[in-house]
Amino acid sequence: MANKETAKVHKNSQDIINQLSVILRNAQVHDPNNVAVITAIEKFLSLINPLIESERSLTLELIGEFFYLDGTRIRYMLEYLLNFDFLVREFKKREIGTIIFKDIIKSDDIKKFLKAFIVAGFSDTPYEKVSEGVEESRSIEIHRLKKIKEGEEADVRKVIKKTYFKAVSYTKGVMKKIKSGEKINIKKAKRIVETMVDHILEEEQLLLSMTAIKNYDDYTYHHSVNVSVLSVALGQRLGLSKKALTELGIMALFHDIGKIEIPQEVLNKPTSFNDDEWKLIRKHPIWGVKAILKLKGFDDTTIRASIVAFEHHMNYDFSGYPPTKKYKELDFYSRIVTLSDQYDAMTSSRVYSRIPIPPDKALSIMMERSGTQLDPLLLKFFINMVGVFPIGSLVMLNTKELGIVYESDVVFVDRPRVLIIIDNKGKRVQGSVVSLTEKDEKGNYLRTIEKTLDPTKYKINLAEYLL
Amino acid sequence: MELSEDIKEAKDILQNLIKAKKTIRMYPSNNPIYMKTIEESYEKVNSFLAYKDKLALNIRHNSILYDSEQIYYNTEKEDNLALFFFKDGLREITFKKGLTLEELEEFLKIMAMDFDREEIEDDIVTLLWEKDFQNIQYVVDEAVLIDADEEDYEAKAEEEAMEEASDPEGLMKAYTDASEGEALTSMSIMPITDKDLKMLVREVERISFYDIEKLSIILFETLYQSEEKGDIEDTFILLKEAVKCYMKHGYIQMVVNTMKKAKEILEDPLFSEDIKKYMRMLLLYAGSEEIIGPVAEFLDSGVDTEESVFIDFVELLDKNAITPMVKHLGDLKTIHSRKNFIEALVILGKKDIQTLARGLEDHRWFVVRNIIYILRKIGDKRAIEYLLRTIRHGDIRVRKEAIKAIGELGGREVIQSLKECLDDRDVQVRIASAKALGKLGSDVAKRIILDKISDKKFGERDFDEKKEFYEVLSRWKDEDISNFLVKTLKKRTFFGRLRNYENRACAAFSLGLLGNKDVLSLLYKYKNSGNKLLREYAYSAIKRIEYGK
Repeated sequence: MANKETAKVHKNSQDIINQLSVILRNAQVHDPNNVAVITAIEKFLSLINPLIESERSLTLELIGEFFYLDGTRIRYMLEYLLNFDFLVREFKKREIGTIIFKDIIKSDDIKKFLKAFIVAGFSDTPYEKVSEGVEESRSIEIHRLKKIKEGEEADVRKVIKKTYFKAVSYTKGVMKKIKSGEKINIKKAKRIVETMVDHILEEEQLLLSMTAIKNYDDYTYHHSVNVSVLSVALGQRLGLSKKALTELGIMALFHDIGKIEIPQEVLNKPTSFNDDEWKLIRKHPIWGVKAILKLKGFDDTTIRASIVAFEHHMNYDFSGYPPTKKYKELDFYSRIVTLSDQYDAMTSSRVYSRIPIPPDKALSIMMERSGTQLDPLLLKFFINMVGVFPIGSLVMLNTKELGIVYESDVVFVDRPRVLIIIDNKGKRVQGSVVSLTEKDEKGNYLRTIEKTLDPTKYKINLAEYLL
Repeated sequence: MELSEDIKEAKDILQNLIKAKKTIRMYPSNNPIYMKTIEESYEKVNSFLAYKDKLALNIRHNSILYDSEQIYYNTEKEDNLALFFFKDGLREITFKKGLTLEELEEFLKIMAMDFDREEIEDDIVTLLWEKDFQNIQYVVDEAVLIDADEEDYEAKAEEEAMEEASDPEGLMKAYTDASEGEALTSMSIMPITDKDLKMLVREVERISFYDIEKLSIILFETLYQSEEKGDIEDTFILLKEAVKCYMKHGYIQMVVNTMKKAKEILEDPLFSEDIKKYMRMLLLYAGSEEIIGPVAEFLDSGVDTEESVFIDFVELLDKNAITPMVKHLGDLKTIHSRKNFIEALVILGKKDIQTLARGLEDHRWFVVRNIIYILRKIGDKRAIEYLLRTIRHGDIRVRKEAIKAIGELGGREVIQSLKECLDDRDVQVRIASAKALGKLGSDVAKRIILDKISDKKFGERDFDEKKEFYEVLSRWKDEDISNFLVKTLKKRTFFGRLRNYENRACAAFSLGLLGNKDVLSLLYKYKNSGNKLLREYAYSAIKRIEYGK
């Protein structure tokens, strides 16, 4: 019963965001008195007024990349994705962080707000413009977009780091136990992935940044966790439920479990594999199937996890391995895990390619594989998730500052937050994080990425900056 | 309100929740007691939350605290609420203002779960997490998830990652290199379109459905790539589990496909004898109790089964499936499932009559009767030897079925037994024996029936029984019988006239069945007989001969 009730609340919240987006879109092309705009406003009012009536007010807040309605985060819903993104972008553009609706709202209140909102879009001081426009209104109040305090961010980072390493340590324990024939506890895997899912929902970028560090000795375990994090993050973008995200996370965590059968000296070999070694490597999907199916009885989780382990190197066009006859379609989860796996493997120095590829180059390679090795549709979402310049990319800005991509921006995929490590005078600095979405008073972007470089080539240890 | 009052109230709430947990275990959710308990608990928590923003319960190993005061203590291992929460890592549970009745009910349902006895896949933290309560929060200690020897993993890994500091020269070189050369000309932004979203929605809609049949496909691929005997055996064990899993879910078609694949391997000269050996074992496994048990359960569950798929499955089974099938035949609850099993045994029984016939020793009469029916349907004369043992069965229904079967299967060896059965104490058995002899159609059988009918004592039998015997006689459409019947029809006696009329009516009836037109004039003679019975049967016989009615 609780589930139904909660789902209803979420649905209402999503409808409100969606409807506000529809109003703004319509108002940008039509007069406020146009039927399309008026109809959209009326629908919006029918959604918010009952809530205002019972709660006396309604607060819509943009924090990071997510909207919160009266303090509760509104989840993404696939159908509304474009409208959500549009609204985030428009709010950010005008630096609006909060709108508080007080008392029962009338159509005219919304029209006034719309007018101010649209005019502000062309202003050099957009927030002030909107603020001015709604000043007289007693029913609508706005507040400026808050920046996340650095101290708070550091605390969250600590928690997320703990979760990440806990996941790696668990994976290490699982693989060791499987190898020695000990029983393992899948319930624990579920708990760990659940925590990861929570972090992805709340602090996606921070957890993603953990996956950008690759110089650990226990590569296989880190890789498994990275693939799990990347897969859950992608799943979140695709609008999967929390339960489905957990499933996906577990399957991704176990996708490479077959590697326990590969001798460590082969796995950690500093040079490229010879034919025999490749033969061994190519067997790990099959070994993975066996290992997973032996974990506990056959159930939906183990069966589907074994399918994912088997398929994650098969490729979208079945050109990969293991070779099979009469295979119809790859599992949805397998196609997600394949993307995450390829990306993490390419950007690491331990598997397949001995030389790590810079994240943005890895994405270019992946784009070349779109429709052949990789699912073209999911790849689009993947690139939008990690950003055109993924976390860990070494970038030169047009301001002659050198930085490392610190977080991606959900809306502006080519305008991430960057940690400056060398300033415009060529001096090393204890970097501050800047957002490339920031503009000057004329509306021009303050900073733009001009060039990307390979951090490995210059012996830059990303852990120093991202951990 | 004084602090002590709060604590008293929190204690009371906790006791109430414990009581509610027991009630929930005992009653179904539509029971009035269940509903009343939930409402009462909700009222208590809610009245507390009316003046406090939250009710935070601190969980320790053996105790629960509210506001640093112990409100629950228990050192027992069983039925210890503190330990119940503590063992999975729960350290604090908070009910917040705004708690709904539904949320509390769901929470209590989780509390009421018996993790020791029920097959619950998840621990309490996962169950709470999945509910995604808005007004029940909890704090978890995740140290329980990590093995003791990995506790300092984070520090070690971090140290390791930081080991090689960035090269200052490299950094500066990067800056210099980047300052030179050309800037990026294009960036690959891949905008998501409405069409993409529509496609994705379609994909996500079917996310919970995955192709479970891939399991066996993958396992066969694994088998093909097995190089060592141990690998083959490993995969064989998993294939067995896959078959079991499919059958548990009622995916008979998938079992069929798996078995067909195994058969293909057996017929393919390219596969090694090792693999073939395990495929034979896999096919045998499909007929074992471990699989037939779930088949019986599934068929009994009433879920629609495509009959042709079930028959395909049976046709792939070996004779080892007979014994478990016979065993379950007696336990099946629905006519539909029994019918399916009987059909299956008709197919399988042909492979091993002897094993099937062991079912005749079952203590349940209906199982014995079913087996007799199956043996009759199989039509293998080798079954006679077993069937003959059942004609003395304590249950009439079994004896009747046995005689019927014997009659159909024929053979000289059955005649004596059938002859004896003509004197059985039960009329139905006697009739069945007569019919069985009729089915045999031999001269000896004819003689036996004629002798029996001619016997003085036979005349004393009920009309219906006699009629059945005379009907059997009509099976031999020869002069012998015709003469005998004419003689009987004409026969007059002074004593026992009533019985004699019955015999004559039977003879008329039988002549009608014989269809010989030569006897029409005789039958017309009795059409107007003073005896009603004879009159009626003579008339019917005429009609049958003249009009085929």
